Amino acid sequence: MNVLVDGLAPLLDPTVLVCLLAGLLVGTLVGAFPGVTGSMAVALAAGFTLTLEPVQGLAVLLTIYVGANYGDRIPSILVNTPGTPAAIATTLDGYPLAKQGKAGLALVASSFVTTGGILVSMAVFLLAARPIAQLALNFGPAEMFALVVFGLTVMISISSRSILKGVIAGIGGLAIATVGRDPVTGDERFVFGVNDLNSGLPFIAVIIGLFGIAELFDQLLVHRAHVLRPISSLGRWWPTRGELAQMRKPFALGSVIGTVVGIVPAAGGDIAGLIGWDRAKRMSKEPEKFGKGSLEGLAAADTSSSATLGGSLTTTMALGIPGDSVMAVMIGSMVIWGLQPGPSLFSNDPELVVTIAAIMIVATVLSLGISLVRMRGMVRLLDLPHHFLWAGILIFCVVGTYTTTNSMYTVWVMLGSGVLGLAMKRTGFPAGPVVLGLLLGPLAEANLRRTLLIDGPTALVTQPISAVLLVLALVGLATPIVARVRASRRAEAPSERPRAAAGRSR
Amino acid sequence: MTRRSTRSVSTGAALAATALTISACSGADATGGEADYPSDDITLIVQAAAGGGSDLTSRALAGELEPILDTSIVVENRPGASGSTAMQYVADQEPDGYTIGFVPVEIAMLGHQNFDVDPADYDFLGQIMLAPGVLVVPADSPYQTLADFIEGANAEPLSVANSGAGSIWEAAALGLADATGAQVTPVPFDGGAPALAAAMGGQVDAAVAGSGEVSGAVAEGQVRALAIFHDERHPDLPDVPTAAEEGYDLEFGGWGGIYAPKGLPDDVRSTLESAIEEAATSDGFVETVSSSGALPVYKTAEEFADFVSTEYDRFGTILGNG
Repeated sequence: MNVLVDGLAPLLDPTVLVCLLAGLLVGTLVGAFPGVTGSMAVALAAGFTLTLEPVQGLAVLLTIYVGANYGDRIPSILVNTPGTPAAIATTLDGYPLAKQGKAGLALVASSFVTTGGILVSMAVFLLAARPIAQLALNFGPAEMFALVVFGLTVMISISSRSILKGVIAGIGGLAIATVGRDPVTGDERFVFGVNDLNSGLPFIAVIIGLFGIAELFDQLLVHRAHVLRPISSLGRWWPTRGELAQMRKPFALGSVIGTVVGIVPAAGGDIAGLIGWDRAKRMSKEPEKFGKGSLEGLAAADTSSSATLGGSLTTTMALGIPGDSVMAVMIGSMVIWGLQPGPSLFSNDPELVVTIAAIMIVATVLSLGISLVRMRGMVRLLDLPHHFLWAGILIFCVVGTYTTTNSMYTVWVMLGSGVLGLAMKRTGFPAGPVVLGLLLGPLAEANLRRTLLIDGPTALVTQPISAVLLVLALVGLATPIVARVRASRRAEAPSERPRAAAGRSR
Repeated sequence: MTRRSTRSVSTGAALAATALTISACSGADATGGEADYPSDDITLIVQAAAGGGSDLTSRALAGELEPILDTSIVVENRPGASGSTAMQYVADQEPDGYTIGFVPVEIAMLGHQNFDVDPADYDFLGQIMLAPGVLVVPADSPYQTLADFIEGANAEPLSVANSGAGSIWEAAALGLADATGAQVTPVPFDGGAPALAAAMGGQVDAAVAGSGEVSGAVAEGQVRALAIFHDERHPDLPDVPTAAEEGYDLEFGGWGGIYAPKGLPDDVRSTLESAIEEAATSDGFVETVSSSGALPVYKTAEEFADFVSTEYDRFGTILGNG
């Protein structure tokens, strides 16, 4: 009880509240700014917070972390541009919902499941951080490889129209992921003497290009024809009871997936969102709606990517290993404050653990409040004449992308990816699998190579976690193909209901 | 000026105040100017993204340099391509003293790894820090000493995690193998923390990482440190013997300093050198570097330039381009 009181007391300090609000403001703004990620904002803020008291500093940094996780959903839903990589999966159903005139509903639903996801994962942090963090240590290269391969099977389900085109796009993504230095030998691959290519294609620039800029080019080209109507109204705000019930299952699923993926070091909200979305689709009664504006899809994606926050925090504080890139910066700051994250933090300084959890929870609740209030302002933004709106988005994307490296090279990559994205859109190739390949390809390769260096190929099947994940991946690959075969057999027979089965294979 | 890193602040407004101090500090105690330099902002290029060790060190130094030089130091991150993007950028700037940079140990390595980076293109102005490498093994590892480990690695190849292909810690593992005849399989990870995690989880036989990265895990007993690759023991790791104490005279460290494009005018050069010496030995900077687990090692411009060239030759041999 004393621990609880001592841990919560610092939050009553008005200066800590000011820090919370400052962090919240910065967080939601940078989250909504495509290209500027939570980790960049936390890193820059860390330079300033070093001079503060640890609790004040933590209040700023942790609320930026939380706030960014709300802000990044807004451009995903409204303009198909993920504010940060964690919101990639949000675009899959969020933007289609917005195009159907349900942007308000999507924003509100997203805020609620995001809040729920963080709170569930924080409960795990509070109740069982130390035992659960040990799970992270079991994730060596072999397990990581298997998890990533499992993630790659998502490619099949995000290929909404044609599996073939999706797989081709995915392989394209894997192929461009090989550009840069070999992860083990350091040899150059497809660098062609261009120094910038040594570190591979800048991931954030590519996703903004493929999603946001491609959409923007598309809108610009059809502007006169009025073929595509940009989102002009947010529509209804509150989900109906039926819609809430619909989101329950994907929410539960997303919470579990997000927390577990968050605990795994170096796997964050981007991967979790995609896996959560895919699993929810496979378990849904209406999988055919996924990718076309399904609330279930949105709920699954946003719950899982948000639940990684508590998972990452667990690994970071209980083991001293960063759970994601934001946490890496956080550890750096804490060490300078004289706080060493790791097992003894929980035994030596339990009050601080409570304070950290309290900051996260307060930040989450405040973020929910801010997002619900602020959304009304978004209506006015969308009332802008569309050429201003899209021009503004273009400027934001260029500036945001530029800041990731302070170099125009990244901006050219973004614009180039935009052109590629437009071409793919016009020919019916989905962008999701490309991003998936680019995101997971390097992880799959590096971890496979590490496994082979350390133990040789047998480790992949003899390690239980890795074996189970690989089997799940195989099942994930086989199910749609089996379903498709069965569907075509049924179609040959006097057809009764081919649509239900076909939906699975899509 | 105040010593910002030691000051304890209790008002929320300090956040804004600090931001102002750091970004637009116009100190009153300037060192007087015989020449006009500096009459404008100075840009300090960092080869890594914001938030990492290089960035924190650079920002801490910039904070100390501002009052000494009586101008603003703008820290600019240009990450990419193992740091070579920033190095090539610095080499291409005018040698007028308005562009300087944080230079990491990689400057002595990249040229041997097919990157277009040559230490001869720069003026080195002083070393400001050093993070010695530490060899750690899982807590339940059979190896208790460096000698045990080398004996084990003579019998069968041992896997040693490091922070990445071509990194200083991979070179350290290779250097250890070179010097002792041990069979070592370096396993590159994506950063120091995952490499350390692999040692904690027992997925690898050992890891080499910087002193700041391992000291927490060593204190927690999550890994055991067998040796530190430095000429003296580290204050954060007082029980960890140096490799020399264990009979192997090996030193590997992630060092950092300040450089500028080659050909600075003499007066600019000497202004910068003395300002960097004052900043790098100031209490505030020393404390920031020490609390991050690195050592506040200062070397003068001349010593540093010699050191870089020695390191360049040494890595040429280790990395096989000697």
